[in-house]
Amino acid sequence: MTAPVPGALLTAENLRKTYGPTVALDGAGLSLHPGEIVAVMGPSGSGKSTLLHCLAGIVTPDSGSITYDGHELTAMSDSRRSALRRSEFGFVFQFGQLVPELTCVENVALPLRLNGTPRKEAERTALAWMERLEVADLRGKRPGEVSGGQGQRVAVARALVTGPRVLFADEPTGALDSLNGERVMELLTEAARSSNAAVVLVTHEARVAAYSDREIVVRDGKSRDMERAV
Amino acid sequence: MSAHWEDLPARAQSRAREGVRDLFMGVRFACTGGREGWTRMLLTAVGVGLGVALLLLTAAVPNVLAARHQREEARLNYTYSQENVPRADNTLVIADADTSYHGKDIRGRLVEPEGPRAPLAPGLTKYPALGEMVVSPALRELLASEDGKLLRERLPYRVVGTIGESGLIGPRELAYYAGAENLAARINGWQAARITEFGDPDPTSEPKDPVLLLLVTVVFVVLLMPVAVFIGAAVRFGGEQRDRRLAALRLVGSDIWMTRRIAAGEALAGALLGLVFGTVFFLIGRQFAGSVEVLGISVFPGYLDPSPVLAALVAVAVPAAAVLVTLLALRKVAIEPLGVVRTAKPPRRRLWWRLLLPLGGLVLLYPMLGQGRTHGPFNQFLVVCGVALLLVGVTALLPWVVETVVARLGGGGVSWQLAVRRLQLNSGTAARLVNGIAVAVAGAIALQMLFTGVESDYIRHSENDLLRAQMQVNVPEGVPLAAAAEKLSATRGVRQAIALSGTDAGDRPWNDERPPDPLVQVTIGDCDSLRQVARLPSCRDGDVFTLKGADHESADADTAKLAEPGRRLHLNASAEEPARQAVWTVPAGLKSARSVKDPTGVRRGGFLLTPAAAPAKLLSQGGGAVFLRIDPSVPDAPEHVRNTAARVDPLTVTTLWSSSERTKQFASLRTGTLIGSICVLLLIGASLLVSQLEQLRERKKLLAALVAFGTRRRTLSLSVLWQTAVPVALGLLLASAVGLALGAVLLGMANTPVAVDWGNVLAMAGIGAGVVLAVTLLSLPPLLRLMRPDGLRTE
Repeated sequence: MTAPVPGALLTAENLRKTYGPTVALDGAGLSLHPGEIVAVMGPSGSGKSTLLHCLAGIVTPDSGSITYDGHELTAMSDSRRSALRRSEFGFVFQFGQLVPELTCVENVALPLRLNGTPRKEAERTALAWMERLEVADLRGKRPGEVSGGQGQRVAVARALVTGPRVLFADEPTGALDSLNGERVMELLTEAARSSNAAVVLVTHEARVAAYSDREIVVRDGKSRDMERAV
Repeated sequence: MSAHWEDLPARAQSRAREGVRDLFMGVRFACTGGREGWTRMLLTAVGVGLGVALLLLTAAVPNVLAARHQREEARLNYTYSQENVPRADNTLVIADADTSYHGKDIRGRLVEPEGPRAPLAPGLTKYPALGEMVVSPALRELLASEDGKLLRERLPYRVVGTIGESGLIGPRELAYYAGAENLAARINGWQAARITEFGDPDPTSEPKDPVLLLLVTVVFVVLLMPVAVFIGAAVRFGGEQRDRRLAALRLVGSDIWMTRRIAAGEALAGALLGLVFGTVFFLIGRQFAGSVEVLGISVFPGYLDPSPVLAALVAVAVPAAAVLVTLLALRKVAIEPLGVVRTAKPPRRRLWWRLLLPLGGLVLLYPMLGQGRTHGPFNQFLVVCGVALLLVGVTALLPWVVETVVARLGGGGVSWQLAVRRLQLNSGTAARLVNGIAVAVAGAIALQMLFTGVESDYIRHSENDLLRAQMQVNVPEGVPLAAAAEKLSATRGVRQAIALSGTDAGDRPWNDERPPDPLVQVTIGDCDSLRQVARLPSCRDGDVFTLKGADHESADADTAKLAEPGRRLHLNASAEEPARQAVWTVPAGLKSARSVKDPTGVRRGGFLLTPAAAPAKLLSQGGGAVFLRIDPSVPDAPEHVRNTAARVDPLTVTTLWSSSERTKQFASLRTGTLIGSICVLLLIGASLLVSQLEQLRERKKLLAALVAFGTRRRTLSLSVLWQTAVPVALGLLLASAVGLALGAVLLGMANTPVAVDWGNVLAMAGIGAGVVLAVTLLSLPPLLRLMRPDGLRTE
């Protein structure tokens, strides 16, 4: 079990979550400091994605506590958690999950627009992030017209465009070849560090976890902080 | 080279074999595709099944009409005869005693067999004795129910049997045969007659009014086109999942054509299963049909036999259409070994060939413009093809319209942007969703225009003054009018009773060679009643008035000729039986009165007689009409009146007045169209819902991801609403334009001035929009469920 750590931005303790008869989390926990990159590792079905979903307020755990910036996440209403995700968190998924009908720049601008930023301003900011992630030339293309690696970089730009304090990345390179995967990870971690965003990186690849500051291993729904275990 | 040609038949055979093999492989994939494959096939089968059931129902309509017509003809007791049939052991005296109860018609007959060989009415095993009746099952049920309390008072006979199916035109029909006595005295050539057999002695087929036939043809095309569109949509249910599966086949070496044939095979499996489902739905519905009544029409299950030719056509056309639609749909989808390439922007749609369809329709209909009723029947082939092409034109034009318009849309909030971008990327799916509704609305607008345009030809506008009277009771001869009026006046809910009897007066009795000339009208009533006919200077019993200002031009002059005090006039002069005639001497002190419209809207002429001035012989013959002013606040007042009237005499005829009356055929057609339209709209609504849910399921992961990064559910719901609303609005606009054009052409064909009832157009478009709105609302709960984070789970 993870003990609360002073100065942590996000702390989860003793999380339990079941889906029907399947136990996804069984006492898992994690702490995350501002600007820190933590890799959550473990085999398929170990509960790492569920842990990420709980930490991000997407899924409510059956029991346990999650504190974000001093506020109990599990006690928040759905709309408050949604607002938090819009303004404080960013997300990258394995398959990008870009909206296929929007152009790349519109996809990146989407979180800003959801926060009420006017369209032109949102797209200007989005383009700046696309330049940082080396995909500015894809601005007018739709996700179906770009490669997997390019799409994933667009997804990273979309995740960072609102200047989130925490970036949640669920197998961000899972669908990419090693070369593209490494480039995406370089850009993701560089961008996150430059904007002082903490990152929760779910992966089962040691190569990807190597970009993190610290590793947590999840197995059978239980978590283990590798740094402290050493 | 020659070897090449010689090989040709062998190669063609081999290709055909390959084609059939691929089709069967598709059928096998559909059947063994696991849960996903089964779900897809079931969706298609249920969709096609609903369409097939409706088509089979349509194929059964001619049989239903014929069967009802035959039953109606077979039980006809022809009372309109001047022929004097002598009493014998094979005669039956029968009198019409129809009534209605709470708006439902009840067919009633009083019967008195005159011998053991009297003809037995269809559905009866024997005639009821005096005070007994045989009833239809529905009437038995009604009489036994709480709702039938007032009707039990009207039909106080003991129920001794049930009318069999052969004596009824529908299972819910209300009918009875009641035993009576002394009916022979009531034979009058229209209501009561002595007959030796049932059935129409001079059977005629339904009148062939060309405009009515045109309406029937258009109704069928208009109702069936959306069903065809629906079947086209149903075979594409789950298409996106299927395409992904087909990509896997490409990976293992299947070429493009093989893939398409396999897809067609899958669709064929769905369509074949749909045929089975459709037949089952139809058979279930057929059994159910006996217990329901829609807009006053019920049908025996046995009537619902589809015509074998039409049923065979459905059995062949539906699977063939499924294969064709699939092949056409796959033309625009490049299924590559690594996935389906549809996400790239497709080429722009071309307008020219889409315009050819409605234009072709107009060209086919053009030669029939101005034909009207006078130039024989319309060419049904041209009508069907022309109307069908115009309506198919909607389905062809709509994708182009949606694509062209949404390409120009921009701006707006996030929900609007998501919707517009989705439509820009793939407007075809959205247009397909709306196609069925658009075709139905276009057809409905055209039909409404045609109905409204020709309605005046089929509606008799009544001149009855509904402010002065709302019911009329015709008291038969032999029943004293004054007593009847008194009883009716005392009935609950009656405010005023105006009793008038009438006859004619001539200078001599009837003689075929030298008929009375002039012959004028005579109206008999008390002073209050006569004031409803004329402006009387003063009135007391014993007065006689001459009328001026009658509708009939020569009436005033004729009256003046006969109105000589002391002159002997023959009343009931036109009666054939001399015994019914009476001689009346025109009294001195005649008063003159100005005729006003009576409650039936007629300005009478001739003489007005108060009872004391009328010959007693005439008064004793009874009969006449009682006009009743009803208190609308009294519940069931018309039923109380009918009960009193039945107590006065079972052969009284009671009418509840209305401002207009539609002819029976026109009204039936309108009712049938309404029933058909409801079925079609329900079907299309169901198809829309399935397609909508399928679309949402396809986007489950994306929706969950959008919610994960904080998108409000309201934003996504609104986006779904916009996605539907934009094509619906465009579809309804296009449908209105095509509907108006088709309506104008049809009215032109019927030689009727073109007039647009914008209220109707808006109502039709509104109903279409309402169906879509209902579907969108119904799809919101699943949408909210799909937006749950579970969608992100992959394990």
